[in-house]
Amino acid sequence: MTPFIECYALGKTYQSKAGPVEALRGIDLTAAEGEFVCLLGLSGCGKSTLLQIIAGLEAPTTGTVRVGGAHLDGPSDKTSVVFQDHGLFPWMTVQHNVEFNMKARHVAPAERAQRAAAMLETMRLSGFAARYPHELSGGMRQRVGIARALTTNPRALLMDEPFGALDAQTRSRLQEELLAIWQRQQTTVLFVTHAIEEAVVLADRVAVFSPQPGRITATVGVPLPRPRDPESPAFVALVKELRRIVEGAGPGAAQS
Amino acid sequence: MQNRTLDRGLDRALGLLPLIALLAAWQLAAAAEIYPPVLLPSPARVAMVFVTDYADVARNATASILRVMVGVSLAFVIAVPLGLLIGRYRVLDAISDWSIQIFRSVPPISLIPMAILFFGIGDKPAIILIFLAATWPLLINTIFGVRSIERTLIKVARAARASEWLIFRDVIFPSALPAIFTGLRLGIGGGWLTVVTAEMIAVKSGLGYMILNAQLTFRSELIVAGIIVIGAIGLIADQGVRALRARVCGWQEGLNVEPT
Repeated sequence: MTPFIECYALGKTYQSKAGPVEALRGIDLTAAEGEFVCLLGLSGCGKSTLLQIIAGLEAPTTGTVRVGGAHLDGPSDKTSVVFQDHGLFPWMTVQHNVEFNMKARHVAPAERAQRAAAMLETMRLSGFAARYPHELSGGMRQRVGIARALTTNPRALLMDEPFGALDAQTRSRLQEELLAIWQRQQTTVLFVTHAIEEAVVLADRVAVFSPQPGRITATVGVPLPRPRDPESPAFVALVKELRRIVEGAGPGAAQS
Repeated sequence: MQNRTLDRGLDRALGLLPLIALLAAWQLAAAAEIYPPVLLPSPARVAMVFVTDYADVARNATASILRVMVGVSLAFVIAVPLGLLIGRYRVLDAISDWSIQIFRSVPPISLIPMAILFFGIGDKPAIILIFLAATWPLLINTIFGVRSIERTLIKVARAARASEWLIFRDVIFPSALPAIFTGLRLGIGGGWLTVVTAEMIAVKSGLGYMILNAQLTFRSELIVAGIIVIGAIGLIADQGVRALRARVCGWQEGLNVEPT
C-alpha cells in the first residue's frame, strides 16, 4: 500500500503574547491510499492543528507534508475538508453551498448544478436544495458539508470533529453513512475526534495524541470486521485499551 | 403566522401614537394662541400649504432628494469596495485607520465654507458635502462587516482553493452585507441632514433653501410644512432601505434576536 498522506518530523510552534507555544512536536504519520485513520486525543492536543496543516491551511514550522506524493504548499486539489461546525455559508442555499467547491475550481455552471443535484440525492437532501442552512437540523447541515466536500471527487477527506456537535443517534447514523461513502468511493479519510467509541467504530487505525506539546503517543490498529458491534467483547476491550492510552497521555503523564 | 401579521399591524398603530399626540398638542397650542399665529400656524394652515404651494414644495423636495441620491451613490460606489479591501488587508488598515478616525470626526457642515470657496454656489458643493457625510458611516460599517466574518468560512473557501476574487464576491461581500446596509441607513440619514443645511447656505434650491426663504418672507406655515416633508422623506428612505435589506439579507432571518 502506497502512503497517500505523509507527515515526517512535523512540528508547529505558534507565537503568542505569552511567548512561543509548541502545538505539535515530532509528528510522523502516514495514511495509505483508501485507509481510514482517526486522530484521537483530548482537546488542545494539536490534532486539529495537524489536520489544518495537512489541509494546507497552515504551514508547519518544521518537517514535511506530502499529499499524493507531492510536497504540500497550500490547499491541495486532491483533498477536501469537512469542518467541525459544518462551515456552511449562511447566505447561500443548500444548492449553492454544495456548488461552492466546484465553483472555486472553475467547473461550468450547468455541470455544477447537475453534479450538486446528484450529490444531494445521494445524501438524501434533494427536497432541501432551496433551503438555507439555518432551516436545517444539525445532522442535515453536516450532511450538506460532506456533500460539498465530495463534489470535487477528492482522494482524501479531511474531517475535523465533524460529528462533535450532534446528538448520539444522529451521530451514529452519520457514522454509518460516512462508512458507506468511504467504501463506495475508496477515498482516504483522516478523521479527528475526541470520542474513543467513534474512533473504534470508524477507523482502520487510530493515532492517539497527547498534549503539551502535541505528539502521537501510540498508533493502534482496529482489526475488527465491519459493521462493528459496540457491544462485542473485542470492541469493548479495544475501547478500554485506547482509554488507558488516552488517559495515560493526559497532562502530567510525562513526569510519572 | 396570523398572530405575527396581527402583531405587525399593532406595531404600526403604536408607532403612530406619539405623532397623533404631537398633532393634538399642536392643535391645542395653536387654538389657545400661546404664540401669535404668525409664529405658530395651525395644522390646518400648514395643510393648506400642500395645496397652494404644492408645485413649489414638490420642486424643492425633488432637488434635495436628487442631491442626496447622487451624493450617497457616489459614496457607496467608493466606500464599499474600499471598506472591503481595508477590512481584508492589514496593511491598508494600518495606512488608513488614523486618517479615517480623524476625518470622520469633522462634521461635513464645517466644510461648507471651504466647499463654497472651491466650488461656488450650486449643486457641486452640496453633493460633495453629502458624499462626505455618507462616506464615513458606509466605510466604517463595511470594514466592521468584513472583520466580523466567521473565520471558519474563510478557511472553507481557502481549503476549496477559491481565488481571492471569488472569496471577495461570494464570501466576504455577502457576509458584510448586513453591516453595509447599516452603513447605508446611517449614510442616507447623514446625507439628508447635510443636504438641508447645505441648501440653507450653498445652494439656491431644495427644502433647506425653501425653509430659509420662508423665514425671510414670514411664512411660518411654509417652514413647518418644509420640516414635515423633510421628516417624512427621512422616514420613507429609511423604511425603503430596511425593506431592501430584508429582501437581500433574508438569510439572516432566524439568526437575529428580535426584541421581546
